[in-house]
This record gives sequence, C-alpha cells and structure tokens, in this order.
Amino acid sequence: MATLTPTLTLTSTDATTDQLSFSVTDQLSVTAPHIGLAKIAVTTVGANNIIQPATDGQTYYVYVKHTGVDASGSTVTTTCNVELTGDVVIGKLAAGEFMFMPVGGHSLGVQLQASSGTIVAEYAYFTKA
Amino acid sequence: MATTCELTLSSDITSSEMNISASTVLKKAELNDDLELIEMGRGTIAESDGSKTAEFGLPTALGVDKAAKLFFVNKATDPTFYIDIDLHDTNVGRLYAGDWMFIPYGMNDVASEFVIEAEPSGAVCPYEFALFQEPQTLVAHS
Repeated sequence: MATLTPTLTLTSTDATTDQLSFSVTDQLSVTAPHIGLAKIAVTTVGANNIIQPATDGQTYYVYVKHTGVDASGSTVTTTCNVELTGDVVIGKLAAGEFMFMPVGGHSLGVQLQASSGTIVAEYAYFTKA
Repeated sequence: MATTCELTLSSDITSSEMNISASTVLKKAELNDDLELIEMGRGTIAESDGSKTAEFGLPTALGVDKAAKLFFVNKATDPTFYIDIDLHDTNVGRLYAGDWMFIPYGMNDVASEFVIEAEPSGAVCPYEFALFQEPQTLVAHS
C-alpha cells in the first residue's frame, strides 16, 4: 500500500499584528487508480472538463492548481471554478492558486470551468485505500 | 498583508517517488490585493448532533465575486471517526481523523452553506478551521 503525504504551510508576517505561522501534514494510504500531475486546458463549459470521475463510494484526494496561463501560453487573470459535476460550485481559483481536498462518498465527479477563454490547470488525484 | 500558502504532495505510489509543490499568496478576487481577514477557531461535533452548519459556514455576508480560502481539519484521533462535508445539500467528501482540506470557498449563496456531520454512531470529532477572506460589509446596528 502506498502513502501520500500532503503538507500545508500558511505564513504571514503582516496579516495580523501577531505573526501567523502554521503547518499541518498527514499520512494518507492511497492506491490505484491515480492520476499523477496532469494538465488540462479548461474551457467555459464545466461538463467538458471533468478531471476526476464520479465516485462509486470511494474517496479521492484531489489537487488542482490554476497555472495562470491560457491554452496559448499567455498570462491570464481569469478565475477557474472548481465544481462537483452537476455544476455545484465549491469555489474559484485565481491565477497561481491551488487546492487539496477529499471528494467521495457519493456519485459526483469534479469538473473545472473557466470564467472566460481557456485556463491551463494542473491536477492530480489519488484513491483512498 | 500577505499570507503565503505552500502545499507539497509526496508519494511512493509510483516506482519513482512523486513530488508536487506549489506556493501562492492569497489574493482578493481578480485583484492583486492580499486577503486581509482571517477567522480561526475550533469546535467539536458529535454524531448525536446530526448535520450542522459550521460557525463560518453561513455565506450571507461575503457575497458573489469575492475570494475566500478555507482550511478545515478533523482533529479526531480514532481512525474510524470522520466528518462528512456538505455544501448545503450536496455531499462533497469525508475527512477522516487527522485529515484536512484547503479549498477556495464560494460563499456566494445558500448553496455554499458549509455543513458538517460526524460519523459513525458515537463519533465525537474536534475540528479546527481557518478562513481567509475579503473584508465583509458590516451590517447595520439593530
């Protein structure tokens, strides 16, 4: 059985008068199927940009990053919606931003939708063992 | 007022070890201004509580086209205890003991309501959260 180790660190020296600094990590048991780091040119129709298939009761750990460029490689400032299939919006990623979350226990997948034009996103998912 | 966020993922799931690393500064929606409001807290939810809206989970004040990022962790130590995460009536996934998530959070309307439920029977799950967001519009004095 394989292990996925995610680590998140949040720091700020000036968001508050007391410095913010914390780090959290985890050890997740994962198995196939998994998608390593992949790229997709996200369009404005979420249903055409499904990056994680519908679950069948299993849990997926999903990573998504907005790369900040479009399909031609030009810099963009448009946002990328992260949604469950069926257009259930979780939130929007700005250029350079990313997310990591578990998805599962239902029959929905994950899709991406650009606010306009195209956005190149990177993604990966792992199946909980 | 920059908050820097870094994420690394490493795994031995492939024969060559995989490493993913990303870093960003949290920004307001479609602006280069930093997010400046941080709300942090902790709580406990028990299976007997049923499904509840989290303290930060009522998307009434922020509104559309605003940015927010949410960190949420299940601090339970029993590996069988998990927190079911819903956006209003849509189930997103489960956070098992020690698991966490970091997501962009819509907070647009009632469909974005962040709902939590401890499972299975008898589960008691402490949790912690940090919400990074744009300043809210203060409400009128009642």
